[in-house]
Amino acid sequence: MADDVVVVCRQLSRIYDDDGVPVNALDGVDFDVTRGDFVSLAGPSGSGKSTLLNLIGGLDEPTSGNVVVDGTNLADLDQSQRSDLRLNKIGFVFQSYNLIPVLTARENVEFIMQLQGVHAAERHRRAIDMLSSLGIGDLGDRRPGELSGGQQQRVAVARAIVTHPVLLLADEPSANLDSKTTEGLLDLLRTINREHGVTIITATHDPMVMSYARRRVHLKDGRIESDERAGALTV
Amino acid sequence: MKMPLILLLQLGWRNLWRQRRRNFMLLAAILVAVGGVVLINSLIRGFQYDMMEDAVENLTGHVKVLAPGYRDDPSIVQGFELADGWQPSVPTAELEGWTRRVRVPAVVMSERETRGLNLVGIDPADERDLSFLGTVAMSGERLRDADDSHIVLGRELLTQLDTKVGRRVVVITQGADGLNREAGFRVIGAFDAEGTALEKAFAFTGRTALQRLLDTDAVTEISVRLTDDAHSAEASAELARELPSLQVMDWRQLEPLAAAMFEYSDAAIFVWFLIVMIALAFGLVNTLITAVMERVREFGMLRAIGMRPGQIVLQVLVESTLVMLLGLGGGVVLGMGLVAYFADGIDLSAWAQGVEMAGLRSVLVPRLMAEDVVLVTTLSLVLGLLGSAYPAWRAVSVKPLDALRRGT
Ligand SMILES: Nc1ncnc2c1ncn2[C@@H]1O[C@H](COP(=O)(O)OP(=O)(O)OP(=O)(O)O)[C@@H](O)[C@H]1O
Ligand SMILES: [Mg+2]
Repeated sequence: MADDVVVVCRQLSRIYDDDGVPVNALDGVDFDVTRGDFVSLAGPSGSGKSTLLNLIGGLDEPTSGNVVVDGTNLADLDQSQRSDLRLNKIGFVFQSYNLIPVLTARENVEFIMQLQGVHAAERHRRAIDMLSSLGIGDLGDRRPGELSGGQQQRVAVARAIVTHPVLLLADEPSANLDSKTTEGLLDLLRTINREHGVTIITATHDPMVMSYARRRVHLKDGRIESDERAGALTV
Repeated sequence: MKMPLILLLQLGWRNLWRQRRRNFMLLAAILVAVGGVVLINSLIRGFQYDMMEDAVENLTGHVKVLAPGYRDDPSIVQGFELADGWQPSVPTAELEGWTRRVRVPAVVMSERETRGLNLVGIDPADERDLSFLGTVAMSGERLRDADDSHIVLGRELLTQLDTKVGRRVVVITQGADGLNREAGFRVIGAFDAEGTALEKAFAFTGRTALQRLLDTDAVTEISVRLTDDAHSAEASAELARELPSLQVMDWRQLEPLAAAMFEYSDAAIFVWFLIVMIALAFGLVNTLITAVMERVREFGMLRAIGMRPGQIVLQVLVESTLVMLLGLGGGVVLGMGLVAYFADGIDLSAWAQGVEMAGLRSVLVPRLMAEDVVLVTTLSLVLGLLGSAYPAWRAVSVKPLDALRRGT
C-alpha cells in the first residue's frame, strides 16, 4: 500500500567530488520505509549513512535517482519548498549542535512552531508539555550552554517531534552520550515511535541504538549490504 | 510562510550580545565615524555659511540693485534717484533690512601718504542689521546719522596713511558734474574688520553729507538683506520687475569666488562623508563575514530544521541593521554633543594671521543642519545594508550539510 510508505528511494546515487576524485557515497540504492517504522542505518565510516539521511531530508541533492517523502518527489521542489517540507514534515536530530545557542530550551522547542505561525499561547503550552513529558520540564529556561549533552539531545528531540512530523531523521544521536544517557534517549525515541507513530530513521555505529530499531539496514561502500527485521529484539 | 519580525528581532538582539566584543568594536567604529562626520560636516557648514555671510555683509547684501553702467564705470554719473518713500517690494517677513548707498572712488590724503579707495555714503541706522558695519570692532566713534560729515577709516588704512583718529584727511572725488571735489574730513573712528582687505578698501561717511559734496540726490546702489538666502532668487525677480531700468544682482553674481566656494563646500561634505562611510562599510563587511563564517554550523542547522534561505539572509540583515541603528543613533547623539560642546566656536586665532589673510573669521562656529544628519543616517543605512548583503549571501551559499560537517 503506497499510503503506508513514507520514504521511497529509487536508484539513488550520490557522487561527491573530492579534489577531482569522484567518491561514490551512494551507489544506486533502492530503499523504502513504511509508516511507523524504526530503522537504523549501520555500516562502517564512509559507507554512506549520513549521505542517505541528508538526501531523504532534502539537505542534499542526488546525482541520480529519486526520493519521495510522504508522496512528494523532492526533485519537484525548490530550495524554499524543501525548507517548508522539512519544517512541516521532517524532524532532525544531529550528533551535536542541534540547538540555537541564544534561545532557551523552551524557546528552542517553540522555534519551529514560531516559523509555522502557531499562536503564542498554544506554542507555549505545547513546548512546556513536550519538555515535561520528556522529563526535562524544569530545564526550560536554560540555554543550551547550560545543559549537558544528554539534556541537549532531549531538547533537540522535543523540538523535532513537537510539531508531529511524519519522519524523524537522527544522525548519530548518541555519539556524544554515555551509555546510560543513550539508553534514556533511546527509550524516548521508542516511545515516540510507538505512541505517536512517528517514523524514525537513524544512522549509527552504536549497537545499542541498533538494538532498539525494528529494522536494521547495513550499508557498505554506498550500497545496501543487508536489510533485516529484528522482530525478536523488539516486542 | 512569513517569518515573524519579532522572532527575527529577538534572535538578532540576542546574537548581538553573544558576539559582544566584536559587536562592541563595530559599534564603537560606527559611533566614532558617524559622530566625527556629523561634527566635521557642521564645521564645514559653519565655514560655508560664514563665508556666505561675509560675502553678504561685505556691503553686498543678498541682492543689490545698480545702474546698468555702474560696474564698468563706478562713479556718481552712474547713479539713480529713488522716489520719496520708496520701499523694496519684498515681503516683510523675508526682509532683514535694506539701505541705499552712494559709493564712489576717491583718493584719501594724510599729511604724509595718499591712498585710493571706495568712499561710501551710508545711513548708519540702516547698516546695523545689514552689513559688517553693524558688528565690526571700532575705535573712536561711529557715524551718527546720514548727515554726519565725519569719516570712518579702516585700521590698516590709518596705519598706511600714518594718521590717527581725530586728525583730518583730505578726500578728492568726482562730483555729479564731472568735476573734481576736494574736501577735508575729520576721522572720528577706525574699524577693525576680520581681514585687512576691507580696512584698506572702504571709507565711510554720511550719505546725505556725501550727496551734498557731490551735488546730487542720486545714490549708486540699493542693498537688500533677506532673512534667508533661499529667498534671493524670488526677491531678485521682484526687484527687477519693480525697477526695470536698473540692474539687479544677487551675491552669487557679485561675489563669484565666494559663491563657488559655497558650492564646493556642498561637494566637500558629500565626498568626506562617502570616504568615511566606505571605509566603514569595508570594516563592516569584514566583521560580518567573520561572524557569519563562525556561525556557519548554526545556519546549517537552522536550514535543516526548516528555515528558508531567504529567512536566513533576512536574519543576517536584521542583525547588522541592529548594530548599525545602534551605532548610527549613538553616533548622531555623539556628533550633536560635540557640536553643542563647540557651540561657542573653535578658536583658530593660533593661526589667526593666516586665517585673517585668507579673509576668514578666526572663530569657527559649527552649524548643525538637519538635512546633513538625515543624509548621513540614511546613506549609512543604505551602504550598511549593501555591505551586509554579501555576508548574508555567504551565510546561505554554504550547503547545510557541508556546514554541519564542519567541526564534526
Ligand atoms: N560534502 C562532501 N564532499 C566530499 N565527500 C563527501 C562529502 N560528504 C560525504 N563525502 C564522502 O562520501 C562518503 C560517504 O560519507 P557519509 O558521510 O555518508 O558516511 P557515513 O556512513 O555517514 O560515515 P560516518 O559513519 O563516518 O558518519 C565518504 O567517503 C565521505 O568522505
Ligand atoms: Mg555520518
